[in-house]
Amino acid sequence: MLAYNSQTLDNLEIKEEAEKALRKNCITQPAYQAIEAAHPVNFYTPNPVIKIGLFILTVVIISFSLGLLSLMAMDMLRNEDGFAGLCIFAGLVCYGILEMFIREKKLFRAGVDDALLWGAVMLICSSMVIVDRISASTICFVVGFVTVLATLRFADMLMAGVAYLAFLGFIFTVAIKLGPVAKTIVPFLIMFISITAYVAAKKISAYHSSRHYKHCLTVISVLSLLTLYLAGNYFVVRELSNTMFDLQLQDGESIPGAIFFWIYTAVIPVVYLYLGIRKKDAVLLRTGMILLAAIVFTIRYYHSVLPLETAMVLGGLVLAVGAWALIRYLKEPKHGFTYAEPEDPSLADKLRLESLIIAQTYAPGAQPAGNDVQFGGGTGGGGGASGGY
Amino acid sequence: MNIKVFEKLRAAELINDAELTAVKTAEDQQLFSLHWEIKTLLYLGVLLLSGGLGILIYKNIDTIGHQVILMIIGVICAGCFNYCIRKKAPFSWSKVDSPNAFFDYALLLGCLTFVTFVGYLQFQYTAFGTAYGLATFIPLAVLTVSAYYFDHLGVLSMAITNLAAWMGIAVTPFQLLSANDFGSVQLIYTGVILGGLLLGLAFLSAWKNLKKHFAFTYQNFGAHIIFIACIAGMCVFDTSWLAWLAFMAAIGFFLFKEAFKERSFYFVLITVLYGYIAVSIAVVRLLILTNDIGGLYLGLLYFIGSAIGVIVLLISLNKKIKHASV
Repeated sequence: MLAYNSQTLDNLEIKEEAEKALRKNCITQPAYQAIEAAHPVNFYTPNPVIKIGLFILTVVIISFSLGLLSLMAMDMLRNEDGFAGLCIFAGLVCYGILEMFIREKKLFRAGVDDALLWGAVMLICSSMVIVDRISASTICFVVGFVTVLATLRFADMLMAGVAYLAFLGFIFTVAIKLGPVAKTIVPFLIMFISITAYVAAKKISAYHSSRHYKHCLTVISVLSLLTLYLAGNYFVVRELSNTMFDLQLQDGESIPGAIFFWIYTAVIPVVYLYLGIRKKDAVLLRTGMILLAAIVFTIRYYHSVLPLETAMVLGGLVLAVGAWALIRYLKEPKHGFTYAEPEDPSLADKLRLESLIIAQTYAPGAQPAGNDVQFGGGTGGGGGASGGY
Repeated sequence: MNIKVFEKLRAAELINDAELTAVKTAEDQQLFSLHWEIKTLLYLGVLLLSGGLGILIYKNIDTIGHQVILMIIGVICAGCFNYCIRKKAPFSWSKVDSPNAFFDYALLLGCLTFVTFVGYLQFQYTAFGTAYGLATFIPLAVLTVSAYYFDHLGVLSMAITNLAAWMGIAVTPFQLLSANDFGSVQLIYTGVILGGLLLGLAFLSAWKNLKKHFAFTYQNFGAHIIFIACIAGMCVFDTSWLAWLAFMAAIGFFLFKEAFKERSFYFVLITVLYGYIAVSIAVVRLLILTNDIGGLYLGLLYFIGSAIGVIVLLISLNKKIKHASV
């Protein structure tokens, strides 16, 4: 089922664990070398930075090959069907090359294979959109089917996420066609599916045989927590039902059962945070933090509790003082929590991402005259690449 | 760490009992780090606070009066800098760790409010007359001095952004391509000068050991700006584009050698990619000259073939650089 050798994947995990242990001085250098020698890993995985380059270049190759193919098959492409067929063909070719590379060159998360996999799936799935007479539920079903297969075969995180969302999309598009009762229970149906998916992901990840899909299951649990919240978020429910079911609500009018959805909107993120702290679960904790912002936005969208600037100042004060208090509180680790940096150096750290974010959010003051701010100068990255024609 | 893995390794006699116990104790004492969560909250807080104060002041100018507002901003700014000066470790030209996490953000808030302060003075009282350059130059000077004096990479990035704004270019990551009109000849030359200046600063700090860890930030901004300016030059100038290609090749060669010496994959990668774009523009320009449909086919084939070539090149470079830093 899996395209990669299971034994090698195990060896890779053992090697990574041994590296961590070596970094913490739990095992000696000779022991680490012995472990490394006993568990050979013959995958080709380049440095993450190079991986990004390989990914971009592979995308370039795929797009220009598609261009060349369409140019050569100009006669065939009299209508959309021809082009859709070409997309499927190109997708299958990508898939074939991917399988060959993994078998022969042992590529593993090398950028090239990611680009080929995503390219293949995108080409195959976009053929349905090009044809333009296929219903949304069919598209969701096929996308879900293709990505589930891709997830099982390549254990790719993105594919797992898309598969989950496509499945939800399928349920949603089918349910809203079934009549008024189904429309009313759609939010609860999505909630039910989300919570089932979360519990299932947790349960499955406990099994030994699912160990290679660890990261896919994490993606699914994050997404299911998000969809669990969004399914009952007041803003989502009101606006979606207003546009999709033609309720024709005026401003200030509310949906049936508004109280329930308001409580749901405000309570769920807090529950996530509480559970995240209780169980020391980073997924729950971070999702909860992001969704706290969702509470603020939802409430502010319908009720102007405070003028924007007062809310910003108050919120800023609360956040800054709260963070400062937390840092003081956690000076000595308490209840298993610490403020100390995690030991594993991350790529974001090495590329000084934090300073770039600061530069991005800081817009410099007066700009001298003569610098016309214009969009579409468009001569930069790759502008010349295809621009000639 | 996964205890089961180590138990298996023990069974295979690859590690001994002491090592297994060490792993188990380390795992038991493993703490849950809230570092990034708290930092994000703090940063959001500072952003909201400075943004909110800005709007608050803007809206209430009529009722509170300019002097009061200036005083409030000034007090916040002075308070932040005062805190930083009291808490800071002694100055040194090497890397100085910040005394605590709050310090970084107090400094950031101080710098942000200082910029507002100067901008306000200029806007309301035209304190610096019509010399608009001066009004951006003062924050630039203060930001640069703060970055070095307090050793803060974020403030350094702000200073670089400000320097670029002073020269007339927007260089924040998302604006670099969208907010600049690289069709303008003047902007291209400014870009080359700014990029060259930043690259010079990068090598100066690495070579003279003046805040060596700042070199990456300087080089990062400098390399992107100068490469983009060169590529714009190749697109804009119809007669002298070959000269721009040659100039870019020289810069690229120099940066590539430095990156190889520093074992920095990041700079190797961007040099290779920008170089590839430049060569592709040259090829497309030549193919346009043929003025034939065959040129289109050749162009497509060129992109497919050359991209494969660059992939092979990157893979072999990846093998050559062992123990890369970034």
